[in-house]
Amino acid sequence: MSDGQWLRLDPRMLLVHPIDEIRKYVVPLLAAAVFGATQGGNPLFALAAVGIPLGLGVVRYLTTSYRIADGRVELRRGLLNRQLLSTPIDRVRTIDLESTPIHRLVGLTTMTIGTGGGGLSDNLKLDGLEAGDAQQLRSLLLADSAVAAEETEDDAGATLPGLPPPAAAYEHRWLRFAPFTSTGIVIFGGVVGGGTQFLGEIDIDADAIAEDLAAQATVVVLAAVVALGLIVLALTVLGYLVTNWEFTLQRHPDTWHVSRGLLTTRETTLDVDRLAGVSVSEPPGLRLARGARLSAIVTGLDKGQSGSAVLVPPAPDAVVRRAAAGVLGTDRPVSGPLEKHGRAAVRRRWARALLPAAVPAIYLVAAVVAGAPAPLLVLPVLLLAGAAALAADRVRSLGHAVVDGYLVTRSGSLLRHRDALASGHVIGWTTTDTWFQRRAGLTTLAATTAGGQGKVEALDLPAERAVEVAHDLTPELVGQFLASPTR
Amino acid sequence: MTEPAFVLRDPAHRVSPKARTLWQLQCGLTAGIGVIGLLVGALVWREYDARWWVLGAAVLVGAAYAVVVPRWRYAVHRWEITDTAVYTQRGWWARERRIAPMSRVQTVDLAQGPIDRLFGLSTLTVTTASAAGPLRIEGLDRPLALELSERLTRNAEAAGGDAT
Repeated sequence: MSDGQWLRLDPRMLLVHPIDEIRKYVVPLLAAAVFGATQGGNPLFALAAVGIPLGLGVVRYLTTSYRIADGRVELRRGLLNRQLLSTPIDRVRTIDLESTPIHRLVGLTTMTIGTGGGGLSDNLKLDGLEAGDAQQLRSLLLADSAVAAEETEDDAGATLPGLPPPAAAYEHRWLRFAPFTSTGIVIFGGVVGGGTQFLGEIDIDADAIAEDLAAQATVVVLAAVVALGLIVLALTVLGYLVTNWEFTLQRHPDTWHVSRGLLTTRETTLDVDRLAGVSVSEPPGLRLARGARLSAIVTGLDKGQSGSAVLVPPAPDAVVRRAAAGVLGTDRPVSGPLEKHGRAAVRRRWARALLPAAVPAIYLVAAVVAGAPAPLLVLPVLLLAGAAALAADRVRSLGHAVVDGYLVTRSGSLLRHRDALASGHVIGWTTTDTWFQRRAGLTTLAATTAGGQGKVEALDLPAERAVEVAHDLTPELVGQFLASPTR
Repeated sequence: MTEPAFVLRDPAHRVSPKARTLWQLQCGLTAGIGVIGLLVGALVWREYDARWWVLGAAVLVGAAYAVVVPRWRYAVHRWEITDTAVYTQRGWWARERRIAPMSRVQTVDLAQGPIDRLFGLSTLTVTTASAAGPLRIEGLDRPLALELSERLTRNAEAAGGDAT
């Protein structure tokens, strides 16, 4: 990395760009081809179809350059619309190395430099660096010099000499969580939707032929359902495999490395100083299967860039806890006991779950009394039972703790998550209480931070406990606003 | 009676009393527009028998809103700026208190809408690096707001760092 020189990206991008461009313009290109063919063929169309993408690729290559100078990373690009992106090196939060199969074929990688502050547009993207160069550049940018000496073009997942064993590494048995992820559920919905349409058509056919074919139709339907299930299973497992193949979470001297991917490999590097905390989330499916996923709260990375914040994909609960303990340096924030929020908070969970359910329930009962069919009474019972189950689970989830300098909170039922935020990354406090909450002596405390969702929230804490928590973590800040100054 | 140990006191200063008048005007306008909308509806939609009752109820609710809410807000809205922190309290039904250390203040923004200008009031918005929203003090007298904004900017610069 010669200092101050404007550098071109790797010339091998001349191979990658045209393929990219063709991919982008595939529709107009097809249109042009068809149009050309039906009109009796103007050879110019065919020429343009091949020439324009190639030309654009060359232009892109020639007009893009980058440099490291005066403690800044700068990227220049564009022919007509010249653009200069520039950011100080000490603002670099994360570095992503991503290689699509095309990139990997020619030994290249794309570097995305995350600087936070704004949205994705603020990110610098160097598309097309030689893989070795990219790793050198990354070490330079994150001042992770110890890695630069050691790191070779090892396969992701190989333990490098001098480094501790990975905090978490892919195992085939994680694949059982694939159907329980949100992608799994989306795929399931899609296949079921498409499948029912298909089945609907089959049904009509069967009716049309003859009644004694009905038995056969049932068999067909059953077979279709089973096949559907298998397809969904295969798709989700495949999706999980493609994304998380050879996943490794590895500590380097000043950074955490997350690498994964079967076809497109992705390697994210997080600066340890920017790691404000972690969040363990347990969506319903995963929770049933005793799994969880772990993400990092990274200063300067907001929820729009959450892809970079994944620490562990859906994996067994124990693995996630161990990884979190490794990342935080203590297992108590993630595995330790939580304090309950008291009876008022419990009553509030029940009231908030039951009241909205009670309105339609009462309406339905009134309808039955007024003469609607009696079996309708099942609905209000189900409604109230569901609400009660939800309330009980939300009560069980609710908790908080202050341990080892971390604020730990847990809440939610269907979207249960447990967050741990280091006190050094708390950049303010917010308490919110409605009139109802004040009357019950409760308040919702939020520690604001510069990453993730922007805050970590403890729902319905007893008001005094909320202030005590804030005071414990940042005594100087909160102490001056206490009604009776600190004891 | 002994004071409980961990209770936040209110921030030291109230906003300008003119803010109450401003909010009365704003709430009155909102309620007025709602009532006029319903009145037009009642004149047009003649088949609905209870329309005058609905309108009457709306007038009562609107009047209560315009009378009660501004007073309530004025009672809640308070602010305090110390050498090391900014502390605000706002809202009415839902009360929100925010504390931000001076060293984390990123931008200080002074805004004045057309109605604000009529009353000589300003809104001071202090943002931190958190995506969870800024601290806001509404209804400050213009000269005071200017002074505070300068002081905050100076203090935040003195605190240094990149505020994250």
